[in-house]
Amino acid sequence: MATTTTKTETFVGKRIRRREDPRLITGTATYVEDIQMPGMHFAVIVRSPHAAARIRSIDTKQAAAAPGVVCVFTGKDTKGVGTIPCGVAMPDLRVPQHHILATDRVYFVGHPVAVVVARDRYLARDAADLIEVNYEVLPAVADPEKALAKGAPAVHPQWPDNTAFTYHQEGGDVDKAFAGADVVVKQRIVSQRLVPMAMETRGVVAEWRSADRQLNLYTSTQIPHLVRTLVAGMLGLEENRMRVIAPEVGGGFGSKLNVYAEEALMGFVSMKIQKAVKWIESRRENFTCTIHGRGHVDYYEVAAKRDGTILGIKLKLIQDVGAYHQLLTPLIPQLSVLMMPGLYKTKNIRADIVGVFTNCVPTDAYRGAGRPEATHGIERMVDILASELKMDPVEIRLKNFVSKEQFPFATATGLMYDSGDYAAPFKKALDLVGYHKLRQEQAEARKQGKWMGIGISTYGEICAIGPSPATPAGGWESATVKIEPSGKVTILTGTCPHGQGEETTFAQIAADELGVGLDDILVLRGDTAIVQYGIGTFGSRATAVGGSALYYALQDLKAKIKKFGAMLLESEDVTLAGGRVICNKTGNSKSFQEVAAASYRALKLPPNTEPGLIATRFWEPSNFTFPFGAHIVITDIDGETGQVKIRRYVAVDDCGNILNPLIVDGQVQGGVAQGLGQALWEQAVYDDSGQLITGELMDYAVPRSHMMPWIENHHTVTPSPVNPLGVKGVGEAGTIGCSPAVVNSVVDALSPLGVRHIDMPLTPEKIWKLLSAKN
Amino acid sequence: MKVSGTYTLPVAPERAYQILQDPAVLAQAMPGCESLEKIGPDEYRMKMKVILAGLSGAFEGKVRITDQVSPSSFRLIVEGSGRVGFLKGDGLLKLSPRDDNTEVSYEGDAQVGGTMAAVGQRLIDGTAKMMIKKFFDKLAALAR
Amino acid sequence: MIAQKFEYTAPQSLNEALHLLATGAKPLAGGMSLIPMMKLRLAAPEHLVDLCTLKDLNYIREAAGELHIGATASHYEVESSPLLRQKCPLLAETAAAIGDVQVRNMGTIGGSVAHADPAADYPAALQALEAKLVLNGAKSERTVSAADFFIDAFTTALEPGEIIREVIVPIDDARTGTSYQKMPQPASGFAIVGVAARVRQSAGKISFVRIGVTGLSNRAYRATASEKALEGKSESPVEISSAAELVAQGIDANSDLHASADYRRHLAAVHAARALKTAISRIA
Repeated sequence: MATTTTKTETFVGKRIRRREDPRLITGTATYVEDIQMPGMHFAVIVRSPHAAARIRSIDTKQAAAAPGVVCVFTGKDTKGVGTIPCGVAMPDLRVPQHHILATDRVYFVGHPVAVVVARDRYLARDAADLIEVNYEVLPAVADPEKALAKGAPAVHPQWPDNTAFTYHQEGGDVDKAFAGADVVVKQRIVSQRLVPMAMETRGVVAEWRSADRQLNLYTSTQIPHLVRTLVAGMLGLEENRMRVIAPEVGGGFGSKLNVYAEEALMGFVSMKIQKAVKWIESRRENFTCTIHGRGHVDYYEVAAKRDGTILGIKLKLIQDVGAYHQLLTPLIPQLSVLMMPGLYKTKNIRADIVGVFTNCVPTDAYRGAGRPEATHGIERMVDILASELKMDPVEIRLKNFVSKEQFPFATATGLMYDSGDYAAPFKKALDLVGYHKLRQEQAEARKQGKWMGIGISTYGEICAIGPSPATPAGGWESATVKIEPSGKVTILTGTCPHGQGEETTFAQIAADELGVGLDDILVLRGDTAIVQYGIGTFGSRATAVGGSALYYALQDLKAKIKKFGAMLLESEDVTLAGGRVICNKTGNSKSFQEVAAASYRALKLPPNTEPGLIATRFWEPSNFTFPFGAHIVITDIDGETGQVKIRRYVAVDDCGNILNPLIVDGQVQGGVAQGLGQALWEQAVYDDSGQLITGELMDYAVPRSHMMPWIENHHTVTPSPVNPLGVKGVGEAGTIGCSPAVVNSVVDALSPLGVRHIDMPLTPEKIWKLLSAKN
Repeated sequence: MKVSGTYTLPVAPERAYQILQDPAVLAQAMPGCESLEKIGPDEYRMKMKVILAGLSGAFEGKVRITDQVSPSSFRLIVEGSGRVGFLKGDGLLKLSPRDDNTEVSYEGDAQVGGTMAAVGQRLIDGTAKMMIKKFFDKLAALAR
Repeated sequence: MIAQKFEYTAPQSLNEALHLLATGAKPLAGGMSLIPMMKLRLAAPEHLVDLCTLKDLNYIREAAGELHIGATASHYEVESSPLLRQKCPLLAETAAAIGDVQVRNMGTIGGSVAHADPAADYPAALQALEAKLVLNGAKSERTVSAADFFIDAFTTALEPGEIIREVIVPIDDARTGTSYQKMPQPASGFAIVGVAARVRQSAGKISFVRIGVTGLSNRAYRATASEKALEGKSESPVEISSAAELVAQGIDANSDLHASADYRRHLAAVHAARALKTAISRIA
C-alpha cells in the first residue's frame, strides 16, 4: 500500500519578497494618472488664496469662453450636491455645512471655489487663470489656542467661541489620586500639525456612462466601498449604479481614508458634461487641501508617589480641527484619550478634549491617528516624573507596567488590552544597547563637555480597528476566496492595501492553508464591482481583521474540498495535506486540481453540497488588538550648531505572530521614518493670517534616505487571542514608538542644563538656544 | 514677518516728511510702481510690477498714509494682489534730525500670501530689505 | 503645476543664442530654478533659448595658468572633474554640496551663478577664489570679478541680454588649503550658511586668507574682517576662532522660518572656524 507523503513548501513566517514590488519599481503600475480614456477631459480647480473671506463675485465668462473649455462650475452650480460627510456621531458636535465648492465664504487657503473643465490639462490650467474672484478678506485665526482666546475672529460666524466639540472621560477616582500624591508633574506638550505627504498625490477620474446610467469613479483611496456609499449619496445616484475603483495607490497613511470634495465634484462634472473627466492634485494642492495630521496642544498632569508609582493622569487636549470636519476628524483625539495611560496600570484618569475650529485645512487620521500623540504625551511625562523623582527612567517604567499576569487587562479608559508582556521587548532593547555601559559612557562624555542622550519609549497602541459598535462605519472585514476549475485561487479582499503588502501576505496565508504554490494565488482588491463590500485599509487592520476573514473563508473551502475529495476517494476518512486530499486508510489521494475540476464538472455531488468552490466570510472582531514595544535611541548633539545626530536606533516591537518578517520590518522602518520626521524636521506652519508658509517640499523637510539612521529591527512575539492568526497589526507601531524615544533622548542629553521638555520638531536652532542659555 | 531698520536721507526732516508723502515721488521711488492714482484723502490706487529672479508679477492695490504727526512720524500701508499672490506692508516711519539730514527709522510688518508665500517664505526678509533699500536710495536721489 | 505656453529654441550656435536673447528671449540652462517657477506660474517667459544644447559652452580646461569652466558644465561634472579635483578642489567640493543628486545632474554653474540665489553655494567659493566671470552679449564680451558680480539678492552685474559664458578660477599650488563648510536646510538643501575658506601658510604663520560666505544675507560676500584678523597670525585654535567670530561683522543677517538672524550669525562663525581649520589641515 503506497502512502503518499508530500512535503510542500510553506510560506507564512518567511521573508518573502513582495509581489507588488516589481511593477512598482519598474514604473509599470497603473495609478489614477495613468488612466486614459477616449474623449477624457481635464479639470483644474480654482482655490481661495485667503484663509477667510466673503466671496463678493465670481466672473467666469472669460474662462468659459477660453479655447477648449467645455464648462465652468462654481458653488451655486453644485449647491444641490450633498455636503461632505463627517462620519462621527457625538453629542453636541457642531458640524458646519461643508459644500464641495465654496458658496458665499471661504474658510481656509485652498478652499475650492470653482472648477474649469477643458479638453486638455494645459487649456484647463490657462483658463483657470481667467477666473476672477472678488474677495472681501476677513480676519482669520490659525492657531487653536488663539482661536479659543477672547476676541478671536469667529471661523464660523454661528459659533463665535470656535468650539467644534468637547469631550469628557473619567476613570477611577482621579481627585483622590491627586490628593494623595507626593508629587504632581505638569507639562504642556505639542504634537504639531503634519502633512501626510503620500508620494502619489490624490487624483480622480470620473466616467459617467449615460447609456447605462452608471458612474465609474477611479480614485486614489483607502476605502473604495465607503467612498461609493457616501459619494453616491452625495450625488443622489443609486449606490449600485456607482463603481469605485482604487487603482494602484501610491501611499495614503490615513490621508486617503476619507471622502473628499473632488471625488463628488468629478462625479458631478462627468454627469453634467457626459464625458469622462480627470483631476490630478498638484503637490501644492496636496499641501493645502489634503488633510493634515496631529495638531494637538496637550496639558498633562501626572500624580505619583515618591517611590514612582503613578497614581493618576489628567489630560486637557486641545485639538486643532481646522475649518471643517472631514470623515473622522473628531474621532482622532478620542483615540488619544483611549491610549492615555499607555502601558501603565493606573486606573485613575480624567480627560477633556476641546475641538477648535481654525482657518486651516482640516485635520484627520495620519499614521497612528491619535496614538502617536498619546504615546508621546505619556512617555514624555514618565521621563519628566522620573527626572523629578531622580529615578532611572527604566526603573519607573518597569514599576508601573501592567504585568504579564494581568491580561486581558481592563484599562482606566475602558479598553481591554488583549495580551502583552511589556517587560520583554523592553529588557531586550536594554540588552541590545548595553544600557548600563551607555550610562557610564554618558557620564564620561559629560565630563568632556559632550552631549550624549539615551532615549526610551515603551509604547502600546490600539489597532486592528475594530469591534463594530466602537467604530463609525462597522469594523468587520470581508473576504471571498474562489477556486477555479483549473485549481487557481483568487482572493477578493474588502481591505484596500496600498503599500502594506497584503497582496503577498494573503497569498502566503492561502498557500499554506490550501497547500498550493504562491503563484497559484491572485489577490484582488479595490474594485467595488468585483469585491464584496469591505471597510478598507487603515488603523493597522488589513491583516488582523481582513486576514482573519480570509482565514475563515479558507476553512469553509477546505471543508468543501475535503467533501469532494472524500466523494472521489470513496472514503469519509480523509485528510487535506500538501495540496492533496489523502485517504488515510489506503493512502490514495486526489490533487487539488482534480478536486476543483470535479466540483465544477459535477458529474456527481456529495450529499447536500452545491457545485463550485467559493466562500465568502464577513468577520467581526471581538476586540481591538494592542501591539507594544520599546524603542531606544542614542543621540549625540553638536554643541556648536545644536544639530541632533542619531547614533543608534533600536526597535523591539511585538506585533503578535509575524507572517512575513520582511514586510513587518519594512512597516516598522517606514513608521519610524515618519516618526523621525515629526521629531526632528517636519511642521506644517500657518502664519497668523492663515497662509501655509511651509507650502512646498522646498521648506517642508520630509525625511529622505540620506537623513535616516540605520534601524535595528527586533521583535518579541506575544500572539493576540483576538483573531485566529494571532497577529496584532504593525503598520503604525513604528511611528507611535518613535517620537518620544527621540525627544526623550535629546532631553536626556541636555538634562545637565536643567532642560525638562522640548517641543517637536527638535530643530538645531531650538537646541542651540537651550545650549546658549546656560552661558 | 517683522522688518525694521534706519536710513539717512540727505535733507531736513520737514522736507523729508513732505517728499515721503508726495505721491509723485512715491510712485517713482517704490520699486516696480507703475502708477499711483489718488482715490481719497491720503489713499491711492497702485499698480506695480515686481520682476525678481525670473518671477514677474503684476500687482494692483492700495497705498495709504495714516497716523500723521508732522514732521516726525506717519504710517505707510501698501497692499497689492495679483496672479502670483498678494503682499502687504504696514510700517511706522519716524523721522528725526541728524545734523542737516534726516534719520528715518521704520518698523513694521511684511506679509505675503498666495503662491509667492508658499515658495518664497525664506526670501521675504531679504527681499523686503532689498525693496526698502531701493526705495530709500531712489528717494534720496530724487530729494536732491 | 503647468507652465504657460512658451516658445523653445535649441540654438545652433552661441551667436544665434545671444541674438535671440538680445530680442528679449530668456536663457534656459539646467532649469532647476526656472522650471519650478514656471510650473507654479511665478515666471512666464515667452521664449526660452536652451543653452545646454550648445556643446561648446560645456568644458573644463586649463589655459594660461587658470582653469576655465564653460557655463553649462553641470554641478556633477564640476564635482567629478579630475582636473578640478586636483587643481581647484574648492570648486569641486562646493559643487558636491549643492542640493541633491538630481539637481547636480541637471543644474549648471552658469545658470546657478547667474541666478544668484542668496543661499546658493557657488558664490561663496567664487568669492574666496577671487574668480572671474566672462559675460557675453550679442555684441559684447567683458570680464567681471566675482566681487563686482554679486550685487544683491538675485541681482548681478549681468545686463539684459547677457549670459555668463565662462567661469575662471585660479590654480593654487599645493601650499594652499581650501574647504567649503555648509549647514544645509534639510528640505531644499540650500545653505542656511555656507563658508568657503582658502588659506596659505608661510614660516608658521597664515600668509593668505580668503573667506567667502553665502546664505547669511542677500548676497555672498568676502569676510574681509576675518581675513585681516587672521593674516599674519598663527594657526592656533584661539586665532582661528577669534577671526571666525568676525565673519558676520557689518552684515545685516536675514531671518526666515528656518533660522533667525542671530542663529545664522552664530552658524556663520562656527562654519568659518570649521572651514579655516579644515583648509589649514589640507595645506600640503
